[in-house]
Amino acid sequence: MASQTDKDENLPTLGRMMTWVDRPGSANKIFWGLAVFCVVLLAIDFTLEKHEYVKIANTPGFYALFGFVAFTCVIFGARLLRVLIKRDEGYYGDKTIDLEDYPEAGTERINHDA
Amino acid sequence: MLETIPTAFIFFAAGFLALIIANERARGLLLLATPLLALWQVWTLPGGMLTAVNFFGFDLELMRVDRLSRMFGIIFTIAAALGNLYAWQQRDRVQQVAALFYSGSAIGAVFAGDLITLFFYWEGTAIASVFLIWARGTVGAFHTGMRYLIVQIGSGVILIAGVALFYNDTGSIAFDRMTLNSFGTWLIFLSFGIKCAFPLLHNWLQDSYPAATITGTVILSAFTTKLAIYALARGFAGTEILIYIGAAMTLFPIFFAEIENDLRRVLSYSLNNQLGFMVVGIGLGTEVAINGAAAHAFVHILYKGLLFMSVGAVMHRTGTSKATELGGLYRTMPLTAIFCLIGAASISGFPLFSGYIAKSLVLNESASGSYYFIWGVLIFASAGVLSHSGIKIPFFMFFSHDSGKRPAEAPRHMLWAMGLTAALSMYIGFFPNTLYAILPFPIEYQPYTAAKVVGQLLLLSFALLAFGVLMRAGQHPPEIRAINLDTDVVYRKYAPSVIAMCARGVAVIWTKNAAFFTNRYNGIVRGLYHTHGPEGRMAGVWPTGSMVIWLAVLLGVTLVINFVS
Repeated sequence: MASQTDKDENLPTLGRMMTWVDRPGSANKIFWGLAVFCVVLLAIDFTLEKHEYVKIANTPGFYALFGFVAFTCVIFGARLLRVLIKRDEGYYGDKTIDLEDYPEAGTERINHDA
Repeated sequence: MLETIPTAFIFFAAGFLALIIANERARGLLLLATPLLALWQVWTLPGGMLTAVNFFGFDLELMRVDRLSRMFGIIFTIAAALGNLYAWQQRDRVQQVAALFYSGSAIGAVFAGDLITLFFYWEGTAIASVFLIWARGTVGAFHTGMRYLIVQIGSGVILIAGVALFYNDTGSIAFDRMTLNSFGTWLIFLSFGIKCAFPLLHNWLQDSYPAATITGTVILSAFTTKLAIYALARGFAGTEILIYIGAAMTLFPIFFAEIENDLRRVLSYSLNNQLGFMVVGIGLGTEVAINGAAAHAFVHILYKGLLFMSVGAVMHRTGTSKATELGGLYRTMPLTAIFCLIGAASISGFPLFSGYIAKSLVLNESASGSYYFIWGVLIFASAGVLSHSGIKIPFFMFFSHDSGKRPAEAPRHMLWAMGLTAALSMYIGFFPNTLYAILPFPIEYQPYTAAKVVGQLLLLSFALLAFGVLMRAGQHPPEIRAINLDTDVVYRKYAPSVIAMCARGVAVIWTKNAAFFTNRYNGIVRGLYHTHGPEGRMAGVWPTGSMVIWLAVLLGVTLVINFVS
């Protein structure tokens, strides 16, 4: 069943076009494409004249460095936080939505080929 | 004729109508027509105080129309229309009526010209909205709804206490700019702060929004917190403490959102973080900053609604919003995925999307006001927004690992609601002047200069690059089935534990105390029984003994009577 639904011709046209992202090597292409885009942007940044209120922001590449470092800090900060505050889903007992399934009646759970 | 009717009353009338209309389709149409009629009314109303009523000697102003209230009125009616379109298939009368009363109350509060009217509508939003949580119909939702209701009603009670003190101090109930110089205004500030999810007062939001129904969360996300933003902008613009509160609000939720598994809770943290930008703008208090906060509230209602809609559509088809259960859904839900990506790009502030043209106003103003540290915090938070709302929501839901689920595309009415919201969000990004024209103050701002666009693109692109690097290095935190503690642990776990411990202590003392006296009493009874009981020594002389006593008593009484007479 799963293999049948996974056949490209069974998918909606738009979904079929988007399966490109899952082809082998596509993730690499996206990553390196992004890297090239970043380098080009950085090069453009060096050519621009800026009038920021915060002087340091006039330095070429400031936002690039800030973005990269900030994102990395968020990820590692979050990982540290998880060590401290992670608990089982049943931590608050059984009268909590975290252990409940969403009621079937409020949904229409159908497969795309149904 | 229509301009004499307060906008909220249109919603309330529709709410009562929805109670009696039996035809489901007619009810659905009523839910769509009401906010559109209200939008037309708000758009065409003249400015000024339009409707006053006397209430126990107070002159209540039900319709104060100025640029600030009109702008919030417009976005609230648009949000109600889009939310109701999204809920077109929802035939549950309770939710339909609750949605009408809830959005009506929020719009009523926006147009309230005095604090007593504000209080009534403030409580109205609390009471009506809880039904959108309870409508889920599970035990967990009931308990969450109760917690939500306690906090929301609490906020209203604090508000009316503050209003009473404020009236006592100033003799006025006008809802205008206040300063934090009396206990009354502090209480009003606190009340607004609870609804606005200030740090440490915030957790009702992340607790309750994921518990509501699929359509309920979309409606909830638009009104309560943005009403609080409006109230702060109206009452406390330029209050410096708000700058620091807002900066803290932009920061802490990004870490919580990053490790949260329930995507509707991720969005709730994200909502909290976005409110921070608006609160900073209100704290800065300049015309540009207030414009920035108002513009941010406007676009935020759209793209946050869009993100909640896309997660809701996935829930509608799969029954879950947990990242661990999802992934790879773009194959069969490509339109929902694209709408979600538009919402993600908008909230992240990519140029040509609506978030960009609003967020840069507050950012710019914080720098020009020499709040450099705050400016740095806001830039940092912008990168954080990208991480949880820009990447995490679409990536773990539609891409990432394949969950094997192949749900059908979202129903047509949901697609229409998402499509319209996405289109509006992009339209504002393309043509920012359409939004700038209705902001509270006249504005001359050009968001699309080469330096600004490249700066923002650099920030976001390199943050994306960091995501790519961390993913390839296996350093990105994986999604796991777990919950994370937040301040709600205080009232859901610690406080009940302390109360249970106290109860156990009191029970032990009570039992020991009672046992001590019971033992003494039993001893006396046993002693008496031993001597006077049937087997006791005194039992042998009962009849004569009793007779002698009663004779003595009678003789004594006779003697006393004789003596007295």
